[in-house]
Amino acid sequence: MKKSSLPTLLAALAVFAFAVLAAGCGDSDDDGGSGDSGGGGGTLTVGSDIPYPPFEQGKPGNYTGYDIELMEAIAKNIGREAEFQDTSFDTIFRDLAQGRFEAVASATTITDEREKTVDFTNPYYLSEQALLVKEGGEIDSVEKLKGATVGVQQGTTGEEFVEEEGDAGELRPYPQGPDAVSALKAGTVDVVVIDIPVAENAVEGGGGLEISAAIPTEEEYGFVVPQDEEELLEEMNEALDELKDDGTFATIYEKWFKRAPTDALLSATHQAT
Amino acid sequence: MDQILSQYFDLSLMWDHFDEVLAGFWITIKLSLLSGGLALIWGLVLAQLRQLPGRALAPVRGLAIAYIDVFRGIPLLMIVVLISGSLPFLTFLPESVRIPHWFGEPDPFWYGVMALTITYGAYMAEVYRAGIEAVPKGQMEAARSLGMSHRQAMRNVILPQAVRKVFAPLLNDFIALMKDTTLVSVIALNEVLLVGRDIYTDTYNSSALTLGAIMFLVVTLPLARFVDKLISREQSRFTRGAPRVEAL
Repeated sequence: MKKSSLPTLLAALAVFAFAVLAAGCGDSDDDGGSGDSGGGGGTLTVGSDIPYPPFEQGKPGNYTGYDIELMEAIAKNIGREAEFQDTSFDTIFRDLAQGRFEAVASATTITDEREKTVDFTNPYYLSEQALLVKEGGEIDSVEKLKGATVGVQQGTTGEEFVEEEGDAGELRPYPQGPDAVSALKAGTVDVVVIDIPVAENAVEGGGGLEISAAIPTEEEYGFVVPQDEEELLEEMNEALDELKDDGTFATIYEKWFKRAPTDALLSATHQAT
Repeated sequence: MDQILSQYFDLSLMWDHFDEVLAGFWITIKLSLLSGGLALIWGLVLAQLRQLPGRALAPVRGLAIAYIDVFRGIPLLMIVVLISGSLPFLTFLPESVRIPHWFGEPDPFWYGVMALTITYGAYMAEVYRAGIEAVPKGQMEAARSLGMSHRQAMRNVILPQAVRKVFAPLLNDFIALMKDTTLVSVIALNEVLLVGRDIYTDTYNSSALTLGAIMFLVVTLPLARFVDKLISREQSRFTRGAPRVEAL
């Protein structure tokens, strides 16, 4: 490909290749590439796909959210200062591997596939799915999804969950979470299955919605570091433990989720492979 | 290069998901044919309203022109989102109209039909108009002088010639409409694009989308060739010295 002398062909290929890279966030060929991070002292650069409230939100230079505040606390604990870079989630692991930033805090679920290319810290959030219905809606359990028209956001755990566990009459994957919520308000879907914080935001937004049930899933969120940064990983895990012990963790958690973290979350650990 | 092949042309993945993608494409076909047919009719009605004679009917002409201008000027994607997002709230309508499930198709399908018909009706009205205006004025005058009403002259003299002239451009619009049905995926209709994206989010591989694109080509390429052929035939009819081409 490098030796091709046709500029147009090259340009076309470049566009194509860019599309491949942009689409390939789940690919496993992003490994290798150590960061040129100095390690220790100074700033800790952190990548995040902003906004994704309430995990990350705000304007450049003034980011906030659960991930952001927790990461700031961790950085402080290890004697550094977190500096956030807004980036696209599609390419976040590749950019991490290439050293654009030293860690990722972006509501990232720990999965075996991702584990092949990056390392995760201990879990700092256990994801739950909400059944979001109109006030007084009848569907309040997974069993009652049977035969219902269910709205989800495409590509989310919620969609996967309904495909595997719920015997939905019709599954409607919307491109964005709020699309599913407005379909619920319009009455074209009976129930929406979506991450609890997103559902809570929707309920607060008004329109006569309520969360009829919370469903624990196996999903755990972890912060992410490149695979060859064991020292940083260890430091972050120790810092997270300390924050959980001294109550800072619970304070931040309650600030963003309006309830105390569960014992399961406080004791959750993850062995990076 | 390998990455491009595996990302877009993974044959085994295409094979595994062939039935799903085909089921999605079947919805695309149904949506295209139904909306295309309705838009053809609606466009003809609009074009006729636009051509009505006489001072008394000026408001009708104005309304038809306004409609055509407005709906040619608004992106189809917005119409899709606006219809699906507002029709269900018009509580003075019966529920079977607000959230239609006619003939076993889900409501996003019908919102799609409405949006495509509304928009492409306006496009097609302009195509019909071009055809009507391409028929020499003398034809209408001759027909009227023979004692035909405007309506009779339109139906028996002008339209048969006009529609024939614009058959190819209408078919072009239909091809465009068919491709635009993918926009209805934003309201979660399980057509071919949505199915392909769904498979992508499961596998992080775009081959199912490629397969959907190929299915489109299987239909649109022969149609495009057919349009070309029609155009060249139509032209040869009016080329001096060309052999008389038999009627289509």
